[in-house]
Amino acid sequence: MDLSDSVLDHLRSVAALPDLTDTRYEIESEIGRGGLGVVYRAHDRELDRPVALKVLDSALAGEAQLIAGLEHPAIVPIYETGTLPDSRAFYAMKLVTGARLDHYLAGSPSLSDRLRILRRVGEALGFAHSRGVIHRDLKPQNVMVGEFGEVYLMDWGVEAVTGTPAFRAPDSHLDQRSDIYALGAMLEFMLPASAAPALRAIARKAKSIDPAARYPDAPALLADLERFQTGLAVEAWREPLSYRLRRFGSRNAVLLWLLAAYAGVKFLLFFLRNL
Amino acid sequence: MALYWKPVYRFIRLKFRKNDEDAKDLTQGFFTTALERDFFTCFDPAKASFRTYLRMAVERFAANQYAGSSRQKRGGDIQFESVEDYAATTESPEQIFEREWQRQLFALALNDLHAHCDASGKQLQFCIFEAYDLAVDEDERPSYASLAARHGIAETAVTNHLAWARRTLRGFVNERLRGVTSGEQELRKEMRRVWI
Repeated sequence: MDLSDSVLDHLRSVAALPDLTDTRYEIESEIGRGGLGVVYRAHDRELDRPVALKVLDSALAGEAQLIAGLEHPAIVPIYETGTLPDSRAFYAMKLVTGARLDHYLAGSPSLSDRLRILRRVGEALGFAHSRGVIHRDLKPQNVMVGEFGEVYLMDWGVEAVTGTPAFRAPDSHLDQRSDIYALGAMLEFMLPASAAPALRAIARKAKSIDPAARYPDAPALLADLERFQTGLAVEAWREPLSYRLRRFGSRNAVLLWLLAAYAGVKFLLFFLRNL
Repeated sequence: MALYWKPVYRFIRLKFRKNDEDAKDLTQGFFTTALERDFFTCFDPAKASFRTYLRMAVERFAANQYAGSSRQKRGGDIQFESVEDYAATTESPEQIFEREWQRQLFALALNDLHAHCDASGKQLQFCIFEAYDLAVDEDERPSYASLAARHGIAETAVTNHLAWARRTLRGFVNERLRGVTSGEQELRKEMRRVWI
């Protein structure tokens, strides 16, 4: 049987489509492709609502089970998991509308918005780690920012996933600290050119080649971020005296202004008394 | 070998600009030598896919071995096109090799599907699949309604038969892939290349 190019392309396309005849879903369009499968926008006929349907390349039902067990505001809820007649695993999840983080950043959001997003990702990661789950492929393309500013961490990995080069830790064995490395790489990616050295230091510490030199967990990294945002010294950076003084000045601006005013009044009174 | 003979032939033909006979001789010579020298046992799946390994070996073999004297016709019952067929192509020899490999893969899987349908009394399913999915021209593709009328079945049955045939074809393609890959990881990688 000799196949023409057009027939071959047609066969590759139609045989790749998931067979949903015995399910409640109807495919509407393809949303994207990940390391392990394809995500479609689909319609749930029973509940008359749109869903995102991820169909995995092979029977990797573990990924769905993994995420279904994680209930967190920044982790996309799974509605249903199942296996197609051709043995491919699938799961239906909430259809998140919004922008991928890398696209969202193109709109030049403020620094505080950027840090808010990173905090949400870090919180989701910390939660997953506390349940013994690691992400394995943390990168801006796997974070969605919704219409109302909600943040979702997507594409939780399974054994087969090894990460994306720019965000992958150089570790021989992936564990929680590999995710911390990726979180640091993501912070670095998200920072504007004018970012403070303390923030860059946090990203650098998280991205240390030696896993032991990184933050031990996501809450530790978030705590350092919190210290920066409240004007305290960060753990990741031994700041020079000039920075310390400047930080002290900005943290105690009111007190310094009061002291200056008090000194000014005293000086004026002294001056008037000696006229 | 059925999966690789024609891709290798086309690759040699285009890459080394050989005519039909010389390309056949080189192709046959490559496989004969490879089998005699246990070349395939040297394949290390950690370094590259078998397909890449094979293509690079063909390249080396063709560059070194071609003498042009042996012109014995070989190639079994495979049909070959004239060299003019390649004149208009903009694809590289490597892309042609890849494309031809996919074509052979699907052709073999289609044979499997046909045989399976014959053996399991699903000739109707294959008939509908053949009329719809193997239509050479988009304009020739019949509607579900006309297929249903032609075979005296409901349109939903046409949908179901097509879904079954496509699913089964996918299974046969994956089985063929499994046969030429060294493990689950390579299989998944190959599946991603094959499925659009």
